[in-house]
Amino acid sequence: MLLSLPGGEATRGIQAMHDETMASGVYLPEIDVAPPALPVSKGRRLEFRGNARDYFRIWIVNVALSLVTLGIYSAWATVRTRRYMYANTVLAGTPFEYLAKPIPILKGRLLTALIFATYVLGGQFFKPAQVAAALVIAVFMPWMIVKSLMFRARYSSWRGLRFYFTDDYGGAYKWYFGVYFLMGIPLLGFSLASLAGHPGFGAVLLCGGIAVIAPWIKGHQQEWMVENHHFGGKSFKFSAQVSDYYRVYIKTAGVALAWLLPTAMLLGGVFFAFKSQMTVQPKTPPLLAIAAIYACMAPFYLGAWAFVHTQMTNLLYNNAHLGSYRFRSTLGYWEMFGIYLSNGLAVLCTIGLAMPWARIRLARYRADHVEILGAGDLDDFVRDAFAHGEIGAAATEMDSLLGIDIGL
Amino acid sequence: MIPAVYFDGRSTRATPVTVWREDSVLHWHTGDRAQYWQAPLQAFEPSARVIGLPYALRLADGAYLQIDHDLLPDDWFARHHRLERVVDWLERKWPAAMAGVVIIVAALLGLFEFGVPWAADRIASHLPATLEHSMGTQSLAALEGRLLMPTTLQPEKQAHYQAVFQHFVHGIHGLPDVRLRFYTAPAIGANAFAMPDGSVVFTDALIKELPDDQAFTAVLAHELGHQAHHHLLREVLRSSGVFIVAGMLMGDVTSLGGVTAGVPMFLINAHYSRGFEADADSYAFDALAQQGIDPVAFSHAMQALERAHPEIKGEDKSMRYAASHPMTAERIAHADAASRAFQARHPTSRATGVH
Repeated sequence: MLLSLPGGEATRGIQAMHDETMASGVYLPEIDVAPPALPVSKGRRLEFRGNARDYFRIWIVNVALSLVTLGIYSAWATVRTRRYMYANTVLAGTPFEYLAKPIPILKGRLLTALIFATYVLGGQFFKPAQVAAALVIAVFMPWMIVKSLMFRARYSSWRGLRFYFTDDYGGAYKWYFGVYFLMGIPLLGFSLASLAGHPGFGAVLLCGGIAVIAPWIKGHQQEWMVENHHFGGKSFKFSAQVSDYYRVYIKTAGVALAWLLPTAMLLGGVFFAFKSQMTVQPKTPPLLAIAAIYACMAPFYLGAWAFVHTQMTNLLYNNAHLGSYRFRSTLGYWEMFGIYLSNGLAVLCTIGLAMPWARIRLARYRADHVEILGAGDLDDFVRDAFAHGEIGAAATEMDSLLGIDIGL
Repeated sequence: MIPAVYFDGRSTRATPVTVWREDSVLHWHTGDRAQYWQAPLQAFEPSARVIGLPYALRLADGAYLQIDHDLLPDDWFARHHRLERVVDWLERKWPAAMAGVVIIVAALLGLFEFGVPWAADRIASHLPATLEHSMGTQSLAALEGRLLMPTTLQPEKQAHYQAVFQHFVHGIHGLPDVRLRFYTAPAIGANAFAMPDGSVVFTDALIKELPDDQAFTAVLAHELGHQAHHHLLREVLRSSGVFIVAGMLMGDVTSLGGVTAGVPMFLINAHYSRGFEADADSYAFDALAQQGIDPVAFSHAMQALERAHPEIKGEDKSMRYAASHPMTAERIAHADAASRAFQARHPTSRATGVH
């Protein structure tokens, strides 16, 4: 549930793979009052039933139709491919459902294209226009996050009940806008220390300040996101402590350092191998050398990213609950790293054709490692009193575009 | 009699039921027949057909019947989702998937080879000239003082080239408002370029390398080609178009990171750029020939440039597709071909010179 990773994740700038939003971003329901007659707690795994053969054909036909219709059909394509991923994610024998309609998605997408085009062209002809647009987008970002999460929740359902995300704009501005001004404090410290002639001390102050503030922000963002989700008349609760986030980031730093050593050795090797050619043409290193450097850097980046991503996902699920129900996520670092690495290689080597296969196996692994723990039989959710009005798709479209291309 | 699961839309209780149809009404009851429901067929909103997915037959109050993919009779909702029925039929066929791959490749090629350039050029021809002008002054102002330093050429030399420039430009029709500027630019080296506001910039290093006025005129003619055809504006619009289209495609169709998207975008832009350079070259050959200058001057200018930038001499053939300019040897060959054509048309030019 909580894991509506989709919007949140993308906007937080992790260049998360868009596909995750489809399968694993599916919302899990929660259970509240367990029948007293069944004191034994049981775990229910998510089950993923999709297969790459079917999904490949669905995907390729829909991409082709989207292209030949100059993007108009893409809204229908999105709905069909997402429905496939949602409906193949099964909990207690019942699939999840994706209920969004294509027309609002098309409208949102056209509006997003218009804004994006204005932004890009504005930059070419009139720089201030681009700066103004970027500022406006930054100011609207929290609003867009809320709208995007509302859209995803509104159109995700299980057993006939929809998820709901509260329209808590105040909280969004607090945790996705206001808190970033705190980052100004270490920056100020850095400037003051530099002016006083101690730039080294200033840098320590800056890094230390960010290291203290960033996990705290992240923890509160996740808490905010989880606790504003609702299903079946109940609200999700979140029990993680800020110290959990510090622990994740400290471990990540350790993992990154461990990756750094072999990466540095490989880079040294590459540099040595191409040394002779580099000195002849210092400005234009050979193509092969550039490719080799990227190939060495990629595992390092992926190794660190997969670690923080896996840990965050586990942390998020394992601390989300309501009443007697909890979730358990047991994603393994090496498994996730292996899946991301092989997916990336397969997609690169097939110029994208392996994309459906990559999405399916990621979704399957993730579904296999999420459980819902509790004594009930998931029958006792009831329709909530929220007004489930239609939600526009513009924010969610904008969100996925920005998350991927601009990396805010 | 079809097995199904009924959800009442008010709770998450799953009720296994048996459904059957009598005329235009659906009926369903539980296995023990303790509970029974019915609703007219047209009250249901069925979900569209997708491989393997169960159907959801929804009622307005949120209740729905879930029926396995293979169990729903075709004739119950034959008139719904007509478009998606066709799509679903395609999605089940491997030949359609293979055709899809071919269509995607062809569509992407068509889009970036013809679609984006066409649209960008249409927009360029409708933009007011003031916009192009302000774009040029903006970028020139950004470069001045950073990359472009005041010229160190002697005033007489500047005046001489200004005179050659005026004379040559005077002889060409249909040029926008153009002017010649000199700068010292150590970071750029021997080079010349055109700005969208009509400025043609020569670096001091290039002036020093050029063997004669005709070589200067040849380079000038090339830059005027960029000006006459508004290449800078069109290039900016095209690369913006590539960025916009790729952004929308990536946001929708795929999800690779920015780095992988950057490589094809770079190659596409380099491809457009090579087209413009070749275009400016042939404009230059025509303009030179028209004013009685042998296009071989262009060859001489290129050779002088090669001397100034020895690294381009050993151009790596593997970089051909990434280069923003056509290969130097190719350009020289084209210039020589233009020169032969010129001499064929002016067989007496040398003789008249003697008189």
